[in-house]
Amino acid sequence: MWMAHSSSPYGARRVALVCFALLLVALFLFPGQIQGLLQYLGGPVGYAVSIPLEAIASIDAGIANRWGRYVVLQGVQEENQQLRKENEWLRGQHSQLRESAVATERLTALLHFKEQALPTMIAAQVIGRDATNRYRAIILNKGESDGIKPDMGVVTPAGVVGRVVKTTGASSVVLLVTDPNNAIAGLIQRTRDEGIVQGTQQGLAQLKYIPLLSTLRDGDRVVTSGLIGDFPRGLVIGTITSIDKQEGALFQSAELIPEVDVGRVEEVLVIQTSYGQSTKAGAGVDLIEKSAP
Amino acid sequence: MKFLLYLILVLLLVPLQTTLLPHLSVWNIKPDLGLVAAALVGLFAAELEGLLVGLAIGWVLSLFSAGELWLSLLTNGGVGLLAGFLGRQVSQVTAISLGAGLLLVSLASGLLAAMSFKGFDGSQMWWMVQSIVFPQACFDGVMGAGFYWLLSRRFDLNRLRTE
Repeated sequence: MWMAHSSSPYGARRVALVCFALLLVALFLFPGQIQGLLQYLGGPVGYAVSIPLEAIASIDAGIANRWGRYVVLQGVQEENQQLRKENEWLRGQHSQLRESAVATERLTALLHFKEQALPTMIAAQVIGRDATNRYRAIILNKGESDGIKPDMGVVTPAGVVGRVVKTTGASSVVLLVTDPNNAIAGLIQRTRDEGIVQGTQQGLAQLKYIPLLSTLRDGDRVVTSGLIGDFPRGLVIGTITSIDKQEGALFQSAELIPEVDVGRVEEVLVIQTSYGQSTKAGAGVDLIEKSAP
Repeated sequence: MKFLLYLILVLLLVPLQTTLLPHLSVWNIKPDLGLVAAALVGLFAAELEGLLVGLAIGWVLSLFSAGELWLSLLTNGGVGLLAGFLGRQVSQVTAISLGAGLLLVSLASGLLAAMSFKGFDGSQMWWMVQSIVFPQACFDGVMGAGFYWLLSRRFDLNRLRTE
């Protein structure tokens, strides 16, 4: 390699350096404002990008669908999909019924409890995965214009998928339950002990800050506690596979296998309003209606 | 015309990166096409265009990622700018030298990203470096070198760069 004769105008080089320096200074001095502004401007840009994105995603889904239907086992594939959906729905129902049974026992004394409304949900399709390798996230084909906002919970009939972290006009980014940066308030269904569910580097999840006196065991189900965030109580997060109880520690923790296979999820429901909140007519569909296969 | 080309590049990078590349990932690692594109634009179109296209790529890709916007802006914009400078200083760029350069730049941006994670201890950071940052840097280097080699088979790249 040897030095080339520079043909770049010196002015352009200077402008580039000044621009970059200004950007650095602006990001350093006003990080929130700059990021907020760019995120705001990203709303309309999201519409433009969503056109090729949805087109390619639908071609991709079409190829995957055709491959599954006609090249691999035609009839079996269809039947299997139907059964899987039904199974997922039944598992969700089963878990909710178990949750209801436990709650009913505890709340017998509170018969005058206010009647709860079902959460309203928006159905969305998964059209991509996170643009980087550093986060476990999925991209949905619905965004701000459909009423999706950051921090909304995302589920399938089987259980929790994750939480919306970013939106543009026509798409949104969902941080999965298996990402170490995600934290959801959880509850062991059998013992009623609370903790925080966080993703692990291995792509699983762990329940942290469980009280030392908790009698949890392998196979216990963990559900959302409904106390923090936008998840209603009782949605399945996962099943405990191992318990970590160290001597001298203030809490114990447990490893979970998430109920939803987040690597293969194709359609999801975004929780627009939680239990008991008012709902806009026509803004979404209720859980039972939408989740039935 | 050039603006239109850049616009198409930025618009197509998102579906490529988010929808198609996950199918081609190796051990769940996919290359960062945004970084490769910013480097190539910087190399052929000098600093200012490298910087602006890099910033645009970083901004648009960050809208489709859970990651921080500033990191994506700085890394992609910085790579475009750096590639522009190097492209003007070094006369004979080969596929291997470009690949090695991209590997180093990707490694540096990955380390910056790993350090920006809040609440990560040493072991978690080391895990991230060895299982995500380093393989991705290798992947980026190979992709950059591959693209450059493919382009060099069709065009006289050294002439293009000095024009």
